[in-house]
Amino acid sequence: MKYSLFVFKNSTPAIFPVTLLASLLSLPVYGQDNQGQDGQQRLDQMEERLNALQKQMTESTLEKTRFNGFFSTGYTRATNDAGYDDATEESDLQTLSLFGLQGTFTLGRNTDAVLQLVSRGNEDWDTELEWGYLRHQFRTGTEVRAGKMRLPLFMESETLEIGYGQPWARPPEAVYDPVPVRSYLGGDLAHTFNFDSSSLETRAFAGHLQDDADSLGQVIDVELRNLTGVTANWTNYLWTFRGVYARAEASVGSVGGPVNLGQDEKAEFMGLGLSYDDGTWLLMSELTRIEVDGNFQDTDSAYITLGRRINEITPYITASWIESQDNYERDGVLLPGGAPLDVLDVRRQAYSLGFRWDLVSSVAMKFDWTHARGFGKTTGGLIGNQLGGGYDSTDVYTVRLDAAF
Amino acid sequence: MRTFSVERSGRLSVAVVAALLMLSPLASAELVIIVHPGGPDSITRQQVRDIYLNRSSQMPNGQRAVAFELAAGNSMRDEFNEKITGRSDAWLKSFWSRQVLTGKGQPPTEMSSVSGMKSVVSSTLGSIGYLDSTLVDDSVKVALIPEP
Repeated sequence: MKYSLFVFKNSTPAIFPVTLLASLLSLPVYGQDNQGQDGQQRLDQMEERLNALQKQMTESTLEKTRFNGFFSTGYTRATNDAGYDDATEESDLQTLSLFGLQGTFTLGRNTDAVLQLVSRGNEDWDTELEWGYLRHQFRTGTEVRAGKMRLPLFMESETLEIGYGQPWARPPEAVYDPVPVRSYLGGDLAHTFNFDSSSLETRAFAGHLQDDADSLGQVIDVELRNLTGVTANWTNYLWTFRGVYARAEASVGSVGGPVNLGQDEKAEFMGLGLSYDDGTWLLMSELTRIEVDGNFQDTDSAYITLGRRINEITPYITASWIESQDNYERDGVLLPGGAPLDVLDVRRQAYSLGFRWDLVSSVAMKFDWTHARGFGKTTGGLIGNQLGGGYDSTDVYTVRLDAAF
Repeated sequence: MRTFSVERSGRLSVAVVAALLMLSPLASAELVIIVHPGGPDSITRQQVRDIYLNRSSQMPNGQRAVAFELAAGNSMRDEFNEKITGRSDAWLKSFWSRQVLTGKGQPPTEMSSVSGMKSVVSSTLGSIGYLDSTLVDDSVKVALIPEP
């Protein structure tokens, strides 16, 4: 009895499409014989219904596991070897190339696991687990996550590598480059307050980060211990305002080398963000401050981007600025190897002119010209100058292709 | 006096009929927002917009909203985006890629045909979609006729 019940239950879904198929097959004969027009119409309707049902069935199974991805590639070339944006006089295709795959696995009604794997051209296409976290959403608007997640320092942190989701050829260097690490291991708690036509998302996070990082053209070892922070994001879906504060004990040094820029130094990050998007006009701006005790630079940075969508083309202009605020701390200080530490002093302005072109659905191309200057007595934070190049400006040309799927 | 008025009204009615004939193709291809028969009797443009732009996941009657849209190339989709979301296809694509990849939500399910749209809205609880008014029948409920 138990067995037969099981078989019956199991076979019901199979019977269903068979019945539909049978009714579909019987229709054309009827249609041809009698009212051709009417029959055809009914056939069309049945076909649509079958399609819809089929879609619903596949969707309900697919909902348990979803895969999305993103891809970028691009060409970069600079007028000299200053090294802004890692660009030199040699044409480069590796730096902007990356492939990301994201999987979302539904574990329960409000619980899921998110996995993001990214392979980058400038890391020899080694695949890295960029995100890997568990998330639970409560009905009250509270969300809790644990695992490896993106460090939420910037407005575009979560979409940092998803070029298709951004207006620019690349996020403004002045603000996005001084923090050479992306993801941390820990947990966060977020709550979203929904108002009449606006919402406020607040988030508190804590964790640990240890990573090799590429900063100012050098591979350095970064460790952030006792990392904690809060973010607040208010939006009325036209204007968005964001604030962030984070702190940690930072250790920064060169990998395997004698260079040690600080051990367990108090590090703080403060940021303000603003954006406006009405579907036509686009405005984005961020202001950030990094303060690290010891030799590592304290920097202030800002950028402002203005863009306008004209059908498939979105031209934009960006102005950005970065300046280290503690140059006196490195005056005359030499590293054990004898190199002067003031190569870390930075002052730089950059101006970008470019456009995004939405080629076809889910694929966009970007063209960008960036001019960087105003280094003053510093190296401008550029590797070419740190090695004694003496460049006082640089121009970088970029063509980039982005897709999301 | 009397003859004049008759003549005048006659001319008027001819003009009215002509105007109606000219307008009728426009009126028949009107965009309407449809919901499941058990869904709300009415919904505002703002509420529809909020659901389609991932700002709200609830129907006015408290049901969890399940949104459907027509495939690109359908004239009703263009009209819907013009009258309701006010956003271009390129903007929406980029917006949804960000929402999906940051785990904030899934875009409306795309239906390849108008009959598919009708049957899925009529059979899904909490559903919302849109159609050409001439294709609407009792299987779905019209909750909003957006003003131009």
